[in-house]
Amino acid sequence: MTSVAERPDPMSDPVSRHTPPAARRDLGWIGIPLVAAVGLAAYWLLPDDLALLTRIAASALFVLSLDLVLGYGGIATLGQAAMFGTGAYAAGIVAVNWINDPFAMLAAGGIAGGGIALATGALILHARGLTLLMLTIAVGQIVQEVANKARDWTGGSDGLSGIDPAPVLGLFRFDMFGRTSYLFALAVLVAGLLVARRIMRSPFGLACRGVREDPLRISAIGGSPKSYLVALYAVAGVFAGVAGALTAVTSGIVGLDSAGFPWSAEALVMLVLGGTGRLYGAVIGTAAFMGIHHILAASDPFHWMGFIGLFLIGIVLFLPGGIASGLERLGGLLRRKEDRA
Amino acid sequence: MTRTLRNALLGTAFGLALAAGPAGAATIKVGVVAPFSGPFGVAGKTFREAIEVYQAQHGKTVGNDTVEFVYKDLDQANPAQSKALSQELIVKEKVSFLAGYFFTPDALAVAPLIDEANIPCVIFNAATSAITEKSPRYVRTSFTLWQNTVPLAEYMAKQGIKKAVSAVSDYGPGLDGEAAFKTTFEKHGGTVVDSIRMPLKSTDFAPFMQRIKDSGAEAVYAFLPAGPTTLAFTKAFSDTGLKAAGIKFFGPGDLTQEPDLPALGDAALGVTTSFNYSRAHDSAMNKAFVAKHKEMFGSTDTVTFSSVGAYDGVHVIYQMIKNGGGGKIDGAKAVESVKGMSWESPRGPLTIDPDSRHVTQTIYLRTVEKVDGKLENVEKEAFPKQPDYGYKVAK
Repeated sequence: MTSVAERPDPMSDPVSRHTPPAARRDLGWIGIPLVAAVGLAAYWLLPDDLALLTRIAASALFVLSLDLVLGYGGIATLGQAAMFGTGAYAAGIVAVNWINDPFAMLAAGGIAGGGIALATGALILHARGLTLLMLTIAVGQIVQEVANKARDWTGGSDGLSGIDPAPVLGLFRFDMFGRTSYLFALAVLVAGLLVARRIMRSPFGLACRGVREDPLRISAIGGSPKSYLVALYAVAGVFAGVAGALTAVTSGIVGLDSAGFPWSAEALVMLVLGGTGRLYGAVIGTAAFMGIHHILAASDPFHWMGFIGLFLIGIVLFLPGGIASGLERLGGLLRRKEDRA
Repeated sequence: MTRTLRNALLGTAFGLALAAGPAGAATIKVGVVAPFSGPFGVAGKTFREAIEVYQAQHGKTVGNDTVEFVYKDLDQANPAQSKALSQELIVKEKVSFLAGYFFTPDALAVAPLIDEANIPCVIFNAATSAITEKSPRYVRTSFTLWQNTVPLAEYMAKQGIKKAVSAVSDYGPGLDGEAAFKTTFEKHGGTVVDSIRMPLKSTDFAPFMQRIKDSGAEAVYAFLPAGPTTLAFTKAFSDTGLKAAGIKFFGPGDLTQEPDLPALGDAALGVTTSFNYSRAHDSAMNKAFVAKHKEMFGSTDTVTFSSVGAYDGVHVIYQMIKNGGGGKIDGAKAVESVKGMSWESPRGPLTIDPDSRHVTQTIYLRTVEKVDGKLENVEKEAFPKQPDYGYKVAK
């Protein structure tokens, strides 16, 4: 979407002159340990807010999946929640009917999310721009309506309740203080970041970036842009499905909202807020948006929406590339000073 | 200036010292999770206003304990968020009660939490029968679709209606209504000639009106979520000539809830519904409630079923605190102590059914009429002591 136009010319950008593009985009190796460290620090510093932190971790994984399709593949989508919801329902159905081991639930969610992404991606990814946007919304609505109709399996509009995940590794029970939930969610998020980083730095990931920047050129050198995009969409679907399953594990219930349009749109807002095409931008954006949402809604539960709006407008005006771009600019300035010295 | 400030500070300190009250007094917190912003914000507003009216009428203290309400905004049905907010209320705010919950999935989400924390959860609205089966710590002061539909279907059968058609929105509560209507109406000798399920977000009802017409039914039982859909359905019903053709229109009172009446306008005139509360209910207690509301908030436009749901919910919470004798609340015992409790509410006499922990109440048959130039649900008949017929009905 807009991120293509906003990306600065690599030759004039002070950051990129000093660091290779791959490292610049995900803060090198430091980004992921940093997320883990901050996550663990939050566990000790905010022991009363683990419910919120758990939601942030699970949502960050979902926003990360959106970053894969939008930030790296340039696929404009407002239907990412279709994969999230499918994963969440798959995990919930598996847990209620057959096996409630949390890892099995994550696996079920990942397979279901990836499967639906592969199936729908193959159908809709020939389209571009607004048409594609519309088709992704349609897929989301179909998934939501199927979930509404299949009441015997999904509970319809009452939600799929009664999901009671077994203790992690048979040792750590999901307690009401949310300690297990949070550490489990954080571990899954960090693992997700590691895998996503590996994928995006592989030849496949580089090819996907190539498709986003110039599909014609990829065809000219013998690649098939559409198959790259479909594969990327499916990979992101796995991430979204796992994120949905993670929400099912930690909250014990799945509602129709998990496949709804507002959730797709909110993820997009969080991604743009954090910065696209960087992986860790997804984490920063989610933490910033949900954190601020939480603080505002707690201090004034009746009028907080207006303040969130002002905050978003402020970010878009002053940091058009998202919070992550601001951090990078800051890093670039510091480095320039070092060079001069 | 400084002097005013100093006086103000002294006054505040004195006031606080007074408010702290006798030794041993504690603050008992009640966490309220409901939509306070967004499209359903008016529901949360009715909760909060009713809570404030109750506290203005009955005081903020029970025995030595001060009751404080903590509000959390959940702007739409989102069970995962509902659970996170409730968890935060329990762990961080240390609430002794959870309350509120407008949507069914949001209420269902907290079942494991309230069991583990041993905290009573008083549901002010969420109306699917199955909720209270999920945990022994749920108490509900609203209504269920079964509760509203069964007496209505019986009334329709008694009016000599033989053939009826049901038209409901295709989602959980709609299907509950359809099942309750069909079961009861056929038990009393009627026939449901067609069961129409309409898409939840549809606002074009002409094809369904045609189906109603073709079915040859004498009456229609309709249930749709409140808002634009209801508005469109009611309008379509009169515009397509069904009203003129003499087909009778019935439904649960969600269709003509008070905040929607001005928008429905004259199309709503004559619509007959069954419900547990009408703002126009004629009793001293309701008049006092409505008057106090008007005094505090300047208008009674939003006083509706969710207001009394919250008002009576607070009453139950006060009673649980009273029964506990002050200090720490034991959730299971507190719920036990209000089972079978009966009291008079602005909507009429209420009893908490010991089995379902849902209020047994009078359901009223009302018709929309103009009272002093304002549309009101005017009560025509009362069906006392209606339990939740949907409790433990196999789906």
